[in-house]
Amino acid sequence: MQILQYVINGIALGSVYALISTGFSLIFNVLKFSNFSHGALMTFSAFTGYFVAAANGWGLVPTILAAAATGSLVALAGEFVAFRRILIRNTSPIYFFVSSITLGTLFEGIVVLQVGANFYNYPRFFGKPLKLAGLVISQSDIIIFCISAFVLVVLALVIQKTRLGRALRSVSFDRDTASLMGIDVTRSIQFAFIISGALAGLAGVFLGINYTLYPTLGSLVVKGFIASVIGGLGSLPGAVIGAMLLGIVETTLISTIGSGYAPVFTFLIMLVFLLVRPRGIAGSNIQEKA
Amino acid sequence: MTLYTHILTQILISVVSVAGVFVLTGMTGMFSLGQAAFMAIGAYTSGILVTKLSAPIYLAWPAGVVLAVAVGFIVGLPTVRLRRDYISLVTLGFGEAITALLNRTTALTGGASGLTGIPKVTTLWSALVSAVLVITLISLFKNSKYGRQCIAVRSDELAAKSMGINVPKVKMIAFLISVAVTAYGGCLYAFYTAYVDPSLFGWKKSAEWVIMVFFGGVNSLTGSVLSTFVLSGLPEVLRFLQNYRAIIYAVLVLLIINFKPAGLLGEWELTPRNLRRIIARGRRVQQPKGVN
Repeated sequence: MQILQYVINGIALGSVYALISTGFSLIFNVLKFSNFSHGALMTFSAFTGYFVAAANGWGLVPTILAAAATGSLVALAGEFVAFRRILIRNTSPIYFFVSSITLGTLFEGIVVLQVGANFYNYPRFFGKPLKLAGLVISQSDIIIFCISAFVLVVLALVIQKTRLGRALRSVSFDRDTASLMGIDVTRSIQFAFIISGALAGLAGVFLGINYTLYPTLGSLVVKGFIASVIGGLGSLPGAVIGAMLLGIVETTLISTIGSGYAPVFTFLIMLVFLLVRPRGIAGSNIQEKA
Repeated sequence: MTLYTHILTQILISVVSVAGVFVLTGMTGMFSLGQAAFMAIGAYTSGILVTKLSAPIYLAWPAGVVLAVAVGFIVGLPTVRLRRDYISLVTLGFGEAITALLNRTTALTGGASGLTGIPKVTTLWSALVSAVLVITLISLFKNSKYGRQCIAVRSDELAAKSMGINVPKVKMIAFLISVAVTAYGGCLYAFYTAYVDPSLFGWKKSAEWVIMVFFGGVNSLTGSVLSTFVLSGLPEVLRFLQNYRAIIYAVLVLLIINFKPAGLLGEWELTPRNLRRIIARGRRVQQPKGVN
């Protein structure tokens, strides 16, 4: 029974991590770089969601929508400010990296400037936890899991079945050839940033509900990174599977050895995993390509 | 006057760490977002050895550096064979793990309230000597066989490999050198401020160093040193801008990346030859027109 409880809590936690790692992997897939501004974007949108909707007494859904919309718009603006020129000039991917770190510092700097080092709490959106045959399941976990699963399924359908998704896949496969085939590469990349930003906003709100809102909330993005490394960098299904595994491992570790040491052990697990199977679960390109 | 001494000492300690990051990021094109964690290992190891075991400093500092290098080897082992993204992701996780560990092992490290009572040994002069020494060693490394291999790996890993360069080995060497130098910077820092706590060594610090290296010029040690002075000196001089510090950094770097991607100095180094060239140019300008 205890194990089942860990698995349930782990999946609830993992579904939030899945949102983070999917948003991160999407950009990695398309532009082949690690977007380090993702964490700060989560913080930024979660705070905007708080001030626009939750602080005015609006419910969960308007908060989520506000945060997701902010995430999309800010990601779009970030793409224009930080990545567009690098993309056009086709210089070394190193610059994407520095740009994304810088963008992350910028977002976090703005948040700190606006809210200081204060902590904020989302209002209680949910009632008492449900008790079911010896298991305790909180309502927030159920709703977070359902929304995340719904969003991820919709995303998978969009990427697999629609014209936009097909364009995105071809752009991530080979930008130049896709462009020759008449695909608007810039628009596809913008589309990827919009989705990734919306996922960041959603994840930010859920993290804010699970913990509290604070300016360095974005550092939890490292869980998403670990999940995508375990799942295989750049693979979307891998990102989801990795996130679920990480969630379950982490809840188990937290209840057995305490939350203090949990990050140490998750890191060690990732290191061992990289030594044994560097491709990750789903397998992805691990070598630098020309 | 003491304020300026204080600021200058802190900048010089930063110069040591940024020089370490330069080897990794500027020369080899790898990004470590856990570099500050290696600084923490250096600072805490030497600090604990001196305060808890009253070990002499000339043993404690090397011990800090050696431990950091050993840990760096373990972190680097799985990542140097993979694409460069992995080292940044793994070191980021490593930084979080180290912070958690330092916060947790209260008996040894003082936990979140920090390690106190470290003797104040570092002075302006020892910081200056360290900085000069480190810069000299790294410029020697840059011009050595391995340094050139590092630059080749950064420019094109596949081409470097086909030229017979042992890419994982070169990456590992660069990583360990930068870890050692940063850990030494950590020792200097701990024995200057006499106090360290885990929040000083987050990923923001590592990101700041990467930004400094890029601001100065991707392949210019001179540029890295210069930008450390400018970027860490500026907020000290303009105190009222303290809150905007992160934002000013970010905007400056975004401007640089968008409009002058090679950084302030690009590949330019302050070598004796280049210095002579500048002086010669200066003389030519000073000469009145029409003489020649």
